Amino acid sequence: MSVNNRDPLVVGGVIGDVLERFTRSIDLRVTYGQREVTNGLDIRPSQIINKPRVEIGGEDLRNFYTLVMVDPDVPSPSNPHLREYLHWLVTDIPATTGTNFGNEIVSYESPRPTSGIHRLVLVLFRQLGRQTVYEPGWRPQFNTREFAALYNLSLPVAAVYFNCQRDNGCGGRRT
Amino acid sequence: MAAVPMATATPTDSMSRVWSMSSLKSSLPSAVTCRLPSPSSRRPVLISSPSPRLPSFSGLSPVNPLISTGLPGWQSFEDGFKIIDGGGRVYAMRHGRRVPKLNRPPDQRKALLRGLTTQLLKHGRIKTTRARASAMRKFVDKMITLAKDGSLHKRRQALGFIYEKQIVHALFAEVPDRYGERNGGYTRIIRTLPRRGDNAPMAYIELV
Repeated sequence: MSVNNRDPLVVGGVIGDVLERFTRSIDLRVTYGQREVTNGLDIRPSQIINKPRVEIGGEDLRNFYTLVMVDPDVPSPSNPHLREYLHWLVTDIPATTGTNFGNEIVSYESPRPTSGIHRLVLVLFRQLGRQTVYEPGWRPQFNTREFAALYNLSLPVAAVYFNCQRDNGCGGRRT
Repeated sequence: MAAVPMATATPTDSMSRVWSMSSLKSSLPSAVTCRLPSPSSRRPVLISSPSPRLPSFSGLSPVNPLISTGLPGWQSFEDGFKIIDGGGRVYAMRHGRRVPKLNRPPDQRKALLRGLTTQLLKHGRIKTTRARASAMRKFVDKMITLAKDGSLHKRRQALGFIYEKQIVHALFAEVPDRYGERNGGYTRIIRTLPRRGDNAPMAYIELV
């Protein structure tokens, strides 16, 4: 499968900042309320207070997947020194089902960006088997690549990202 | 150069990143028009003229018995170029166009670009219209180049352009680490869905 430079994940900088280049092999559908998330969609924090409905594809119910939701632009895209804030971590999701069937290691925290437009990335990894994943001690300074290397998750199988900025404008100019 | 794909990413579509019109059209409701990330499409977008079967209105051409009978096949005299509302003409080429005017007088234009670069340097990523995003690239690159130099004179030049001085000082502090090795091209533009109110084509511009 050819992943040329038009791939939204490459253009949006997700591949590079958060992930390595990978080939998409599993279907991933994320829905907030009525809206389905497509790459680069603009969503306000008021619409993402509750966790989304995630449905994954695949065929074999014996395969398990891990879903990670991170924000690589904390605290602000111009200065992301807390890079990758972990919002949600669900493991042991059987194929063809959703996150309700998985093991929620890190509970969903609704993103509330203060400054700028943040990208929120949902990544799906394939697990080798049912494995215990320990929750990281803290949410900021999370590194998706290291996490995948630590639990032998290898390359992701699916990813989607969307944009989120604060509800009421940029907060005005403060001199 | 990818815009946002509006159809759901079904397994068949996702295996090849090349969008085909038929699969897209079949999955969309018929009334929706969307912007497709076709590799060949480039600004300006040419709006295809509607069916010439409509009789032309007399305001644009003199009254002619030939038109009033509504003979099919008669094209109006504007057929040589595409008409956008408001009298602006869109051509396929950019011959001789040096400066993007952004529909504003020069002082306002400069103020707009100063404000946009200030906001981009402050927030890191902003969403604006495509014309503004591509017009401001030059100024953002200029500011980062001034910061790369780092001398007092350049700092004062930057202070004369950017509206907030904390941003200038922060820029001069972090640019050598962040962009030390990169030569130019400090921004990235991602086209996105048009704005709802006036269907203006929008884009995200972000610091690389």
